[in-house]
Amino acid sequence: MALEAFTPSQPLTLGVELELQLLDTHDFDLTPRAEDLLRELAGHSGDWDVKPEITRSMIEIGTSIQRAFTPLRDELRDLRAQMSRAARKLNIAISGGGTHAYQHWSEQRIFPTERFRYISELYGYLAKQFTVFGQHVHVGVPNGDEALWLLHALSRYVPHFIALAASSPYVQGVDTGFHSARLNSVFAFPLSGRAPFVLTWEGFGQFFDKMTSTGVVQSMKDFYWDIRPKPEYGTIELRVCDTPLQVDKAAALACYLQSLCRFLREERPFEPAEDDYLVYTFNRFQACRFGLDGEIVDPKSKQRAKLRDDIIRTLARVEPHALDLQGLDACNMIRESLTDGNDATWLRRQHAEHPPMAALVEAAAARWMAA
Amino acid sequence: MRPAVVGALQAVYQQIVDWLVTLVRAPLAGLRGADPVLGLAVVVLAALVLASLLHRRARLPRLLGYLLVGAVASPVVLGLLQRTDIDPWKPLIDLAVAALVFELGTRLRPRWLFDNPWLAASSALEALAAGVAVWLVLVLLGAPKASAAAAAACAAATSPVITMAAFLEARPRGQVAERLLMLSAINSVLAILAVKLWPVLAHSQSVSGSESLTLLASASVVIFGSLLLGLACGVLLDRLGRLHDEAATMPVLQLAVVILAALLATAWGLSPFVALLVAGMTARSRMRHRLTVQPYLGSAGAALTVLLFVSFGVLSTVENWRTLWPWALAIVVARLIGKGAAIFATARPSGLSWRQATALTLALQPMSSLSVLLVADSFGWRAQLPGADAGVIQALLITTTWMQLSGPLWTLWPLKHVVGEAVDDDRPHER
Repeated sequence: MALEAFTPSQPLTLGVELELQLLDTHDFDLTPRAEDLLRELAGHSGDWDVKPEITRSMIEIGTSIQRAFTPLRDELRDLRAQMSRAARKLNIAISGGGTHAYQHWSEQRIFPTERFRYISELYGYLAKQFTVFGQHVHVGVPNGDEALWLLHALSRYVPHFIALAASSPYVQGVDTGFHSARLNSVFAFPLSGRAPFVLTWEGFGQFFDKMTSTGVVQSMKDFYWDIRPKPEYGTIELRVCDTPLQVDKAAALACYLQSLCRFLREERPFEPAEDDYLVYTFNRFQACRFGLDGEIVDPKSKQRAKLRDDIIRTLARVEPHALDLQGLDACNMIRESLTDGNDATWLRRQHAEHPPMAALVEAAAARWMAA
Repeated sequence: MRPAVVGALQAVYQQIVDWLVTLVRAPLAGLRGADPVLGLAVVVLAALVLASLLHRRARLPRLLGYLLVGAVASPVVLGLLQRTDIDPWKPLIDLAVAALVFELGTRLRPRWLFDNPWLAASSALEALAAGVAVWLVLVLLGAPKASAAAAAACAAATSPVITMAAFLEARPRGQVAERLLMLSAINSVLAILAVKLWPVLAHSQSVSGSESLTLLASASVVIFGSLLLGLACGVLLDRLGRLHDEAATMPVLQLAVVILAALLATAWGLSPFVALLVAGMTARSRMRHRLTVQPYLGSAGAALTVLLFVSFGVLSTVENWRTLWPWALAIVVARLIGKGAAIFATARPSGLSWRQATALTLALQPMSSLSVLLVADSFGWRAQLPGADAGVIQALLITTTWMQLSGPLWTLWPLKHVVGEAVDDDRPHER
């Protein structure tokens, strides 16, 4: 199967996907109700989309194509309102967060579609352990070459998004010490990590051909990279964010990425290089483990810096672009979260105040549903 | 049914009983002469073994095994135990029922009825439709209208005990399971209300206006008194829980409050069912996740379940079934149609698929002695339907026996095989 042609799209357009948790209102464990909720939302108003995810306790929503912060946030608020109404009708709760604090992976049930069955058969228990919840942001690019350039240029900023969105400190009832433990589940997949350093769509096509000839992959969907090109949409897709606990945060993260992409495209502050990836895994780990307090190494200058400080410096550089994109409010939200802490910090604070794990998950659901 | 067929069936049945009795004559004679407490203990052991075999070999619910062993030991089949033999165990059986009802209360979220008004409509309609259907069919068969109304009121209820015990056995997760809990609680409360008001309706011509008012006041006192008692017990558990904020003491506190609520309700002539249900709901609402209800009191609860269901089996009654079976069958069919019609009519607007509606209709069918005896002021085994036609009540008891013995199948088969909300395996389900 050859790599499909890259569909051109309008630069810097945005699309957001959120994987969400479906919860039982009694014990706030995950509950396999995706089909009920999908049926209830079948007649929803708005251009957003809702679809199943790999297990029946998950659901994925996708916004329509957006260009600026306010309409994106409004659409996310609308879908949250409609979903929350449907969920209350069905006596379930919906929550953000990268992991469920105490669900048992073995109790999850695979959603009955051909693709999910294939994944389940291929990856075995890993598929059920993949009951983690992420935010994916698509950014429109005009062609494949630019998609790959932007993809690799963005790699330096991947830790920003991990730390800002981190909302998965608890796994199987235990505080992992990580801010984003979700990405550890993604690491387990053989085709996760980063994309190969190829800067032309033609070169990428050759790589894809080699991979498909080995039989290891069948389509682009089989790559679980942190950032991957999405030729059918004409976008690059950032996949490292945990699903935030509030939709406004999800909109802000998407628009921070949009402003960053505009900054990179228009100012070309550096050229991506293979050696940028020497520190990639280290920086990624720091962001997952310590969140905004992590220390990262600049791949060009080799200087160490606090992640929080690096985000502040980056915000200062991208804000003129955010202004042009009507995304200044998003940057302000990001700046505020640097002092308030990320969602992982909020979850730990909640847990300290109200110890039962179920209370923590209930509070997170109330935050997402704006109850 | 033709007399020849009935005769043949009777002969086969008698032959099987004789054969069984001959086979185990010596042990049976020993057991029959034994202390009733010891006798029941032996039957409970047998129930455990059979239930385990049924579950492992035929994937049948364990509860079914307990019921069957109780029924086989009852006067209806082998006569190992008499109904009065249950009496020494009655406090434990009452506790088992009370604990199950309290836990049912903790699982209900009344807010759901406001979030989904069609669910509220569905709850009221299915109880009403079942009652009306049963009344209609009994009247058509020639039953006195007042007695048919009494039977209809009892038949509107789904057994909350079988529902909750089956729920704890299979741990289902899904729309049908949650609606089943909600609907069985609501239709039982409505049945209690209907039966309390029954004398007013049944004897409206002979009862004077002041007597009617007295009966209405009495019914109101029972319902509102039970409500208040439940609220008070729920608040009490919350307060005591704050004083002794230790995980180890919580089950003991729960047990104490459950016993208190049941005893006070009995002593004051209120409804223990309503009081315990409200106590559970209040405790959950006030304590939230501090209320860690041990699934049915842990392993002690498991023992109580066996005892409870064996007792249900022992209390089976099929007297006069040869003459009353058409009435009993009519009640079964009318309930099924009544509940089904209401559930299907409200399925789509309330958010159910047709498949889920089918499963819910089937799962709502079990009845238990409790549903007949809800009218009693305590968990005693006396029906309190003065003036009701004995034939109609006996037909209702036969129906109850059928729907009780097959109850776990009605509940669990649709949950497992129609909607797949329960996983049919032996994995522990920690929540």
